[in-house]
Amino acid sequence: MALVPELVTAEAEPEADAEALTALADWCVRFSPAVAVDAPDGLFLDVTGVDHLWRGEAQMLADFRSRLITNGLPFRCAIADTPGSAWALAHFGKDGTIAPSGEHEPLLASLPPAALRLDRETWAQIERLGLRQVSQLVAIPRAPFGRRFGRAALTRLDQALGHEAEALTFRRPPTPWFARLAFAEPISAPEDMSRVTVDVATKLCARLETEGQGARRFEVCFHRVDGKALQLSVGLSLPGRDPVRIAKLLVPKLDTLDPGFGIEVVTLRAEAVEPISGRQARLDKAREATVEEGLAPLVDRLTNRLGQERVWRAVPVESHVPELAVGRSRPLGKPSIPQTWNREIPRPTRLFRRPEPVDSVIALTPDDPPTQFRWRGQVHRVHRAEGPERIGEDWWKGQIEDADVGHIRDYYRLEDTKGGRFWLFRAGLYGDPATPPKWWLHGLFG
Amino acid sequence: MSPRYAELQATTNYSFLRGASHPWELVVGANALGLEAIGVCDRNSLAGVVRAWIARRNLPQGETKVRALTGCRLDFADGTPSLLVYPSDREAYGRLTRLLTVGQMRAKKGGCQLHWEDFLAHAEGQLALTIPPDRLDEAFERNLRGMVGELSGSIWLAAARRYGPRDLNRLSKLAALAERTGISIVATNDVLYHDPARRPLQDVLTCIRQTCAIQDVGIRLQPNAERHLKSPAEMARLFAKFPGAVERSAEIAERITFDLGQLRYEYPDEPVPSGKTAIQHLRDLSWAGAKWRYPDRVPEKVSKLVAYELDLIEKLDFPNYFLTVHDIVRHARDELKILCQGRGSAANSCVCFCLGITAVDPTKEDQDLLFSRFISENRGEPPDIDVDFEHERREEVMQYVYKRYGRNHAAIVATVIHYRPRMAIRQVGKALGLTEDITAALSNTVWGSWGDNVADDHIRQVGLDPKAPEIRRATTIAEQLIGFPRHLSQHVGGYVLTKRRLDETVPIGNAAMKDRTFLEWDKDDIDALGLMKVDVLALGMLTALRRSFEMLPPAANGQRITDIAHIPQEDKAVYDMLCEADSVGVFQVESRAQMAMLQRLRPRKFYDLVIEVAIVRPGPIQGDMVHPYLRRREGSERVEFPAPRPEDGDKDELRAVLGKTLGVPLFQEQAMRLAIEAAKFSGDDADGLRRSMATFRADGRLWTYKQMFIEGMARRGYAPDFAARCFKQIEGFGAYGFPESHAISFALLVYASAWVKRHHPEAFCAALLNSQPMGFYQPAQLVRDAIAHGVEVRPADLQTSDWDCTLEPPDDPRSPHRALRLGLRQIKGLKETEVLVFMKSRAAGLTTLEDYVLRSGLSRRGLELLAEADTFRSLGLNRREALWAVKGMTDELGAERFAPLIARQSVKEAQVLLPFMSPPKEVAEDYRTTRLSLKAHPVNFFRDELTKMQVLPCVALKTLPDRRRICVGGLVLVRQRPGTAKGVVFLTLEDETGVANIVCWKDIFDANRRLVMSSSFLLVHGQLQVAGNVIHLVAERFTDFSQKLTQMRDHEEASGAAPPSPHGRISSALVRSRDFH
Repeated sequence: MALVPELVTAEAEPEADAEALTALADWCVRFSPAVAVDAPDGLFLDVTGVDHLWRGEAQMLADFRSRLITNGLPFRCAIADTPGSAWALAHFGKDGTIAPSGEHEPLLASLPPAALRLDRETWAQIERLGLRQVSQLVAIPRAPFGRRFGRAALTRLDQALGHEAEALTFRRPPTPWFARLAFAEPISAPEDMSRVTVDVATKLCARLETEGQGARRFEVCFHRVDGKALQLSVGLSLPGRDPVRIAKLLVPKLDTLDPGFGIEVVTLRAEAVEPISGRQARLDKAREATVEEGLAPLVDRLTNRLGQERVWRAVPVESHVPELAVGRSRPLGKPSIPQTWNREIPRPTRLFRRPEPVDSVIALTPDDPPTQFRWRGQVHRVHRAEGPERIGEDWWKGQIEDADVGHIRDYYRLEDTKGGRFWLFRAGLYGDPATPPKWWLHGLFG
Repeated sequence: MSPRYAELQATTNYSFLRGASHPWELVVGANALGLEAIGVCDRNSLAGVVRAWIARRNLPQGETKVRALTGCRLDFADGTPSLLVYPSDREAYGRLTRLLTVGQMRAKKGGCQLHWEDFLAHAEGQLALTIPPDRLDEAFERNLRGMVGELSGSIWLAAARRYGPRDLNRLSKLAALAERTGISIVATNDVLYHDPARRPLQDVLTCIRQTCAIQDVGIRLQPNAERHLKSPAEMARLFAKFPGAVERSAEIAERITFDLGQLRYEYPDEPVPSGKTAIQHLRDLSWAGAKWRYPDRVPEKVSKLVAYELDLIEKLDFPNYFLTVHDIVRHARDELKILCQGRGSAANSCVCFCLGITAVDPTKEDQDLLFSRFISENRGEPPDIDVDFEHERREEVMQYVYKRYGRNHAAIVATVIHYRPRMAIRQVGKALGLTEDITAALSNTVWGSWGDNVADDHIRQVGLDPKAPEIRRATTIAEQLIGFPRHLSQHVGGYVLTKRRLDETVPIGNAAMKDRTFLEWDKDDIDALGLMKVDVLALGMLTALRRSFEMLPPAANGQRITDIAHIPQEDKAVYDMLCEADSVGVFQVESRAQMAMLQRLRPRKFYDLVIEVAIVRPGPIQGDMVHPYLRRREGSERVEFPAPRPEDGDKDELRAVLGKTLGVPLFQEQAMRLAIEAAKFSGDDADGLRRSMATFRADGRLWTYKQMFIEGMARRGYAPDFAARCFKQIEGFGAYGFPESHAISFALLVYASAWVKRHHPEAFCAALLNSQPMGFYQPAQLVRDAIAHGVEVRPADLQTSDWDCTLEPPDDPRSPHRALRLGLRQIKGLKETEVLVFMKSRAAGLTTLEDYVLRSGLSRRGLELLAEADTFRSLGLNRREALWAVKGMTDELGAERFAPLIARQSVKEAQVLLPFMSPPKEVAEDYRTTRLSLKAHPVNFFRDELTKMQVLPCVALKTLPDRRRICVGGLVLVRQRPGTAKGVVFLTLEDETGVANIVCWKDIFDANRRLVMSSSFLLVHGQLQVAGNVIHLVAERFTDFSQKLTQMRDHEEASGAAPPSPHGRISSALVRSRDFH
């Protein structure tokens, strides 16, 4: 960094890399069903017998390359008879080499020993012996070479040259959570649309159930005759697979869709799929649903009606500033912070969203509690008082010039002669006559 | 009348990551507010109390001063409420330190584990304030009742108003609780900082402690900025409803009679034989020593000096100190055979010479009575002698000290690790929630380690906006954090020795190292309190010197040199060599700046070396004293002494002070003398100046002295400019104090190492190589330097090399020097233990290749390293053949060991012809395996190419005229960016003919930063600057040739080049420079 100050650094994320590589492997299935991950940064594709779909290896490779380039991925690739020689050519040969069948050996000849997938220590030592090309390794007697660098080195050499077979572990992509219904006659009646929604949900949910899965999000898509696709989606607060419930959430929204000249295909896709334990709700009546399970349908209906942001649950947030001490969290699920409100710190039952100004405050300086104040035109005489509780500002927010040790709030709990309880605060300190502190009412106790 | 108040609950920043003020800030603040006393109470620690005590001592004289009380906050591991504890007298203090020692010894480094019973066992004489917990429950009341029962009469309940939600309610509860239990409440403010403006810093410290960003730390922060020092009047207002609570604090303070000043030094009386007093013993030893030093006749000057010094030592009651140091030195030298040398003001005494503590002969000219002067200047403080030992064997000496004085009386002092700029900005950035890359970029804007400002343009350079609030907040808070103590660590070798149990003077805790303990105070604290300290330090050059002495042939009269004092003095040839700046490897004067200075200073006698050592230092450089001195020495400027106006004093008053240095102050002592003689500082002021120099960052008093100094001199007619420069120098000394007394001891090592180099370059080189890592240069340069001095250097060889480098008879019998055989230690990765086993089996007889591979005791890995390092030549194998052969046989290694019969049937295998290795590749491999090559210099292979590019060899620079524009190229040996040089970077290049010194001004450096900092093979185009023997090339532009070195590695003839492989790069550079910032 001292050398290249403008260098941008990023944390190494091996797990994320591995995930991305797996995703790329799945993507590659469009070229060949047999894809093997070569961690940490390579893939093997067995293209035996599939290249004719592209009318030849060259066209296939070209398509492959252009697709990767479109995706902005840097890469090197090669096609050869054996995984070993393809690896060597991709890593050390010319990018995009296609070794004609049976002719990979001359292409490998001039590559360095490192191309043989040897461990670093081994190939470095081989090079130090002056053996800097695969051809030199091929030329020397096998026995002395094997004796010095081990059976593994010979195997790698043979695998590259095709003298020894190599088994790759191919990856099977997961089945997507997707269901599809096609109709002989296009449909357009609202009743039909709700019915097919239930049907397609039943179809998908049956699959979810057999695999012990549930999903948090469902996306239904109606494909119109004219090729247009209409989409709708719903979210669940707990993963689910009850087709009736899912359809119930979707159906009210169907009115918004215009079927046009008719719908010929409907698809349903489940997202955020995760395992849920199988329940036998019908047989085991004795077992009571948890509060959350009981609330879930209600919350789902409210959420899908009112909108995601409007349904929430209040949780305590660690902050000294009262209005920041409340946060919103997901209506269901465990609260993120286990503790509850601190009883030692009294807070009003009702905290105003915005503090309301009070005036005619009579209080001894510098910080004694008020003996009288006026709020909404009415004068309150203070009978009992407690305070101040001094809370400093969050100095790390905003501009530096705006921060000051004098920027504080002194909170007082007051009870007036009629028994009303108030939470007043004074913003700032007495002292500078130019900027007299202001008084506010921030909440009411029950 | 204003109320009386003493703050009894103040946390300093020695409660790491809690307190946000230095102890001195709290003391100065409390004094300004008119508090009666301030009680420093850090958590289970006394680390900050001495600082507070010093700050209190340094308060201006005259006015009523605040008292600095020594206390501690005890946090218990068993749920007992925390206590503030103040020892009322010396004995109680001893119990407190013992208590803390018990707790700290139980815990890992930095921790302390205490139980209530521990406290009870040490409670006598302690005044205790219970700190109530947040929840006043029944358990607390039960606890409190128990405590009151045990400590009746000396326990109170601390009550603080923190501006919490229910303060008064809580205070009333506390008062009621106190009444129920029969004690009283005392007002405190539970202080975390002296000024409310420190709240942001305190919040950031909390974040760092919780490893949490400020956005997420929430209620773990303090809600407000109220925990600062408050005035007595304010405290009285806050506690108006609780009469007596505030005044009670002052009453408690009055009951404390203990003051740290009572910890007077008590020397251990260990080494004195029974029946003798210490001074008698010291007298006997000194006179015996004088006879040993001067076997023929003790010169009169010496005997007079010894007698005078002994009287002084007796008068000041220091004999035990000298006896202790003598005992350690004697044991090291006579029993352990370890080379050592003392330094420091007290070390340069005649007594120390006679006792063998130093080898500096006090009868030499220009040595004055440093010792007696020291005594007059360091009033009331014990003398200070640092002893350097061979760095590899210092541990033995340390073990001896423990054995001799016992762990109860000897321990290592602490070093306070402070926040440096980089660490400060990194942690503050993290706490403020800046992303990793921004904090990294910010911390990289700090070059070196002691810059005080994270300069704005540097921030801009890395692409950040210094005006952005997030950035500015981070830099402002980081600046406050710089200089805060971060943790305690053990000092390299400073021992405190006491007569009384040491743990009754200072708490002792565990170090990170097993079986090591160290005390809570650092060197400055120990000095300030006047405790006895001996520094047992490690010095690489002493190791090298002893090794070279062992290799020296006996002199003509059969005498062997075994000690520095045996080296012939004032040898003309040695000075001739130094004048030529031929000083690679010589102690202290081998750096480039020192070499340049050697050529200008042209040392001709020992005292010149003393000046040489002291002059290239921040003090004289910052004070701009170097050039005036040199000009006077060269005779181009008249030697004159600054003088006051005639009516203000003797015009020669400075002649005595500055005479030796031609009227220019160069040493720390001289600057101090100036304060006394010219600025007429009183003894107290001079004392204060010296102290604030030692702790120069810790309090702001230096500035007051600066004014006093400059005005004092100007008033008496000295040029204000001269005064200002003198003081600048004092400031420079403050940071890197380098007094004459140290320079003298170092100069002796300069002379000794130069003498060995001049007369026995082969032994010198071998000793340096065997003592690596040390010094300024890498083995390659040391070896090249030896070759240049006519030494035959032989490569490491399997059959003849030991682990260490050795000397062998030369091929040419007329050669004055023996040949140097490189040791196997040069081979990277080879293990010493393995080689020692191998050497044993080799001595038993190994002849054939098979013997070496199968019966040498070497592991497969070891054999491969030896083969790759080309050590099989004497067996007739080049490195490739050797590696092939070794690899072919080592699979039998196991068989040979476990079934000797079967292994014999090794198969006859097919011959394999390996490609021949080209010379550049050989050299590259040499560098890779041993960091040096005897075959050729890497640059040699590119000479033709360089000549075509009109690049000159380095040696040619010596014959060219000034101001010529030329180009040289070479390997980058050293990069330096000294703090005193305002951003200038110095490079040293080396080619096969010699070295070239490059100066790179700041603008050129900034434009070529990356290249200059990273290139290993560089061509420099620029203008020559010749001043006498000093030749520099001022860089104008650069060409990076580093790629050539990579080519060398890949160089292979014949078969045609394999394509350079993207994976195949060996990432490490062929040659690595040493970089100093």
